[in-house]
Amino acid sequence: MGMREFLDKIEPQFEKGGKYEKWYALYEAVDTIFYTPSKVTSANTHVRDGVDLKRIMITVWFCVFPAMFFGMYNVGYQSNTYLAANGLTMDMDWHGAIIAMLAGNNPASIWDNFIYGAVYFLPIYAVTFAVGGFWEVVFATIRKHEVNEGFFVTSILFALTCPPTIPLWQVALGISFGVVIGKEVFGGTGKNFLNPALTGRAFLYFAYPAQISGDAVWTAVDGFSGATPLGVAASGGLNALTANISWMDAFLGFQQGSVGETSTLAILLGGAVLLIMGIASWRIVAGVFLGMAATATLLNFIGSDTNQMFQVPAHWHFVLGGFAFGMMFMATDPVSASMTNTGKWAFGILVGLMTVLIRVVNPAFPEGIMLAILFANLFAPFIDHLVIQANIKRRLARV
Amino acid sequence: MSDVTPKKVLLEPILSNNPIALQILGICSALAVTTSLKLSIVMAIAVSLVTASSSFFIALIRSQIPSNIRIIVQMTIIASLVIVVDQVLKAYAYEISKQLSVFVGLIITNCIVMGRAEAFAMQNGPVLSFLDGIGNGAGYGAILITVATVRELLGAGKLFGVEILPTIANGGWYQPNGLLLLPPSAFFIIGLIIWGLRSWKKDQVEAAEYKLSAHKVKEAF
Amino acid sequence: MSKSNDSIQKTVIVALALCIVCSIFVSASVVLLKPVQIQNKTLNLKENILRAAGMLSATPTKKEVEEKFAQITPKIVDLDTGLYVEPKDIGFESVDAFDQKKSAQNPKLSKVLDSSEDLASIKRRERYAKVYLVKENGALTRVILPVKGYGLWSTLYGFLALKADGDSVVGLGFYEHGETPGLGGEVDNPNWKAQWPGKEVYDDNFDVAVRLVKGGVNPSSSDAKYSVDALSGASLTSRGVENLLHYWLSESGFKTYLEKVRSGEAGNV
Repeated sequence: MGMREFLDKIEPQFEKGGKYEKWYALYEAVDTIFYTPSKVTSANTHVRDGVDLKRIMITVWFCVFPAMFFGMYNVGYQSNTYLAANGLTMDMDWHGAIIAMLAGNNPASIWDNFIYGAVYFLPIYAVTFAVGGFWEVVFATIRKHEVNEGFFVTSILFALTCPPTIPLWQVALGISFGVVIGKEVFGGTGKNFLNPALTGRAFLYFAYPAQISGDAVWTAVDGFSGATPLGVAASGGLNALTANISWMDAFLGFQQGSVGETSTLAILLGGAVLLIMGIASWRIVAGVFLGMAATATLLNFIGSDTNQMFQVPAHWHFVLGGFAFGMMFMATDPVSASMTNTGKWAFGILVGLMTVLIRVVNPAFPEGIMLAILFANLFAPFIDHLVIQANIKRRLARV
Repeated sequence: MSDVTPKKVLLEPILSNNPIALQILGICSALAVTTSLKLSIVMAIAVSLVTASSSFFIALIRSQIPSNIRIIVQMTIIASLVIVVDQVLKAYAYEISKQLSVFVGLIITNCIVMGRAEAFAMQNGPVLSFLDGIGNGAGYGAILITVATVRELLGAGKLFGVEILPTIANGGWYQPNGLLLLPPSAFFIIGLIIWGLRSWKKDQVEAAEYKLSAHKVKEAF
Repeated sequence: MSKSNDSIQKTVIVALALCIVCSIFVSASVVLLKPVQIQNKTLNLKENILRAAGMLSATPTKKEVEEKFAQITPKIVDLDTGLYVEPKDIGFESVDAFDQKKSAQNPKLSKVLDSSEDLASIKRRERYAKVYLVKENGALTRVILPVKGYGLWSTLYGFLALKADGDSVVGLGFYEHGETPGLGGEVDNPNWKAQWPGKEVYDDNFDVAVRLVKGGVNPSSSDAKYSVDALSGASLTSRGVENLLHYWLSESGFKTYLEKVRSGEAGNV
């Protein structure tokens, strides 16, 4: 008996008037994960495509995998290296107990590193998924709409922007804020003007800044203290930065940071798929990159005696912090970014420009990509408005 | 305004016609002073007094006010009262007036005060106007106190400056939420209050500006 | 509202009457309440000074403040020479009439700082400072110095209280600042402030040694007595506090004066 038959058999129970009418949202979600929905829109003119929202979202989800797997490995690598270098053993809280059961602490062993990272990352992801999913279902049930797959993407992106040492209750609070305030209060997927994953992350950033504003390090070892590469650059400038880490290491991802953001290479791998498939807009990505490169170069030329960040060149900005992650996965969110082609360029450039400005000029925040994207999200509708008005004007002149 | 009874005038602004939650007035000071419950209560009292007495005086002379300078007349009365309140606070509640700083002076620009003077006191008697001012001040105060309770308790672990949730910095367990100490958090809390209030009292929901056409589906195969 | 209300005559009469009534009302309240307000203001200043010197209980009464402040003598110091000056010599009736904060804006009473020496980012420095001497049984036990400097978002104003050796800290407290609540705003946290008493600001060569240490002070290190924990999550406020102390304890600040405090010269007044 196929699953299709089973689903069809129970479907009437979930439809209007059925026994489980209230749970239709859940039924629909399960059904459409396995099967392309058979229903199509019939109103007005539509372009029909084989790809639906759910397939797009699942593709994005898969494309984040390289960054995620590398991130888990790197969390373990950073921790084990530190432990080995200082002759320490890991702290035996519940994380330590599970790690000890499955693997050792050898920084040269891929397996050991991977397990170490997974034990820290998977609970974060599980909490994100459970709590965020709970809100999704609650709203879908009350509002009688379908559970939206966008949440798959939101949840993994949110989890990957968390530092590995974040307390799980903060994860729960952050994703709740992201889903409810960032999305559902505006009416759900498609009506939100902010990226929900970043909204949740920004909430944590301002609520618990001492732990996660991005200047202290998050290596998953108790008592470790140090600075992220961006923190190092902010206080010591380029020289301190290059003394600490090589560009190639930063590009490959062997650096401190949030779980998913460290490896620019892994992010580019996943991002390339998105760009080729046309899911992520290449205009936005190019805009972010150009905006960043131009601003960074300009600031290099201006220079500053007191602010060390001015000397950091574009290729370093590219590999540090969450820049690549934000550029590929966050800025390209189709709902909160600009919709028009010209608008996408402007949107991207604005993100790149603001990222560098916040990183360099603002004394309080070492990282800028998150705030830059949220800032640009606010401007996206306005940018589109301008583009459309300009277009109308141009066409009127032709009449 | 056909049926204005003292009771209605006094109680209605608290839930069903709240100046902050329904009319979205007086938001500025609601963001600024709600980090502490004590400040919010003082602020609420100050606004209530100013609104009530300005409405009272304006209602008293309403039949004499030339309509072409009525706004200026209202402003003058309100401004005088605000200055007096500010001076009294400076004299008898110095600590609080220092923390409230410019926000007492800014009561002049609080739209609730002016709004009540223009919308209510110009048409009604002094006693009713006075009660209307108290009612609106109480409506404003109710929101302020709710917001401040959330912000001070969760943002600093305290209420009235007394530690309720022992914070980690002081050796306890509670990790204070720093966002709640920043002004934007009041927006979120006020937003949530409005959301809750309108889900409960459906008549407060504004009419939609436009309606999306219904989503029609059919079987493809 | 009748139409006659809008006549020019009526408008002028109402406007005039209103203005007169309101102005009487407002002026009366200002004049009547002025004495109480001034009292409040001076009491508040005294409280801030005493608090920095660690001489107050947690919730002081008015009486306590007045009593404790009776032990304190305000003095005006010429920062360049380190000597006391009489208020009359610089054009003030009394010590109380001299407002140091205001004098920083007065070109005659202040000088512009060069960016290289302006560690505390204050741009202008006053020529004369008002210090407070605490005497017990006629002997100088503490000096309280006004300090200020830029943190992350704002200028911090405070008092640093030192023992008569001009080196050991009695207390540091800021009474005005606009740093981020919960981060830089933690300069007001009693636990952080409790670290200060007993620390030393100068090393054996009388060079400024006090500093704020990121990540916490190691109590076994040799310079632990000069070090205080930085505020966690607030690097720039911490740096600001460190800089302002370094500035005010240097030659362009109170160092010349503190040398005289050390030698006992400054106590003989």
